[in-house]
Amino acid sequence: MTKRRASALAATLAGLMVAGGAQAEGDPQKGRYAAQTCLGCHGIPDQANVYPTYKVPMLGGQHSEYIVSSLEAYRSGARPHPTMQAQARALTEQEIQDIAAYFASIDQSR
Amino acid sequence: MQRISVFFATAALMLLATLNTAHAAGDPAAGREKSQTCAACHGENGNSQNSMYPKLAGQHPSYLYHALQGYKSGKRENAVMNGLASNLSEQDMRDLAAYYGSLEGDLHTLPLGD
Repeated sequence: MTKRRASALAATLAGLMVAGGAQAEGDPQKGRYAAQTCLGCHGIPDQANVYPTYKVPMLGGQHSEYIVSSLEAYRSGARPHPTMQAQARALTEQEIQDIAAYFASIDQSR
Repeated sequence: MQRISVFFATAALMLLATLNTAHAAGDPAAGREKSQTCAACHGENGNSQNSMYPKLAGQHPSYLYHALQGYKSGKRENAVMNGLASNLSEQDMRDLAAYYGSLEGDLHTLPLGD
């Protein structure tokens, strides 16, 4: 009984680890396609946000985990930008991971 | 009469422009002095080594300032940054933004037609 319970627990944990791993892994190639909309603002050098006015952040080369947490913050409303909130809410979990992996993979030298 | 009011309007606009520039300007050297706390997460040169924390080196100063303002006001929610930014003055935020924007880093605009 105890042994069976232990193996069930082990199986559950293993399943969680696989699921967690699959989710944490973004695919930069898929991200490249999912990120097409981002280019409208983040692909234009010195593109300005208005009301208030500031330059939209450069995202190429940024860390992936930070991009994921930023998009999640826009989705939850923890970050206030209406356009970014709408964009983030339109993305799936996997697309967020993929986009983050793509941004992080972009090398300045290209 | 009309000429005089045009003169005053022009003078007022010029004065406003000057004030605005003075307000917008951050001092990178002063920002560096104030960046000790930031370096713990964002790295010595703004090139964070931890994927959780954004790289700041070379980022647009106007964006960094905007982000800090949001953290200070609480409009942008982050447990760590809300606390840290609450201690910053308007000038501190300008200086820090100017400092991190002046550094060399990996950040760049997303490539088009890639």
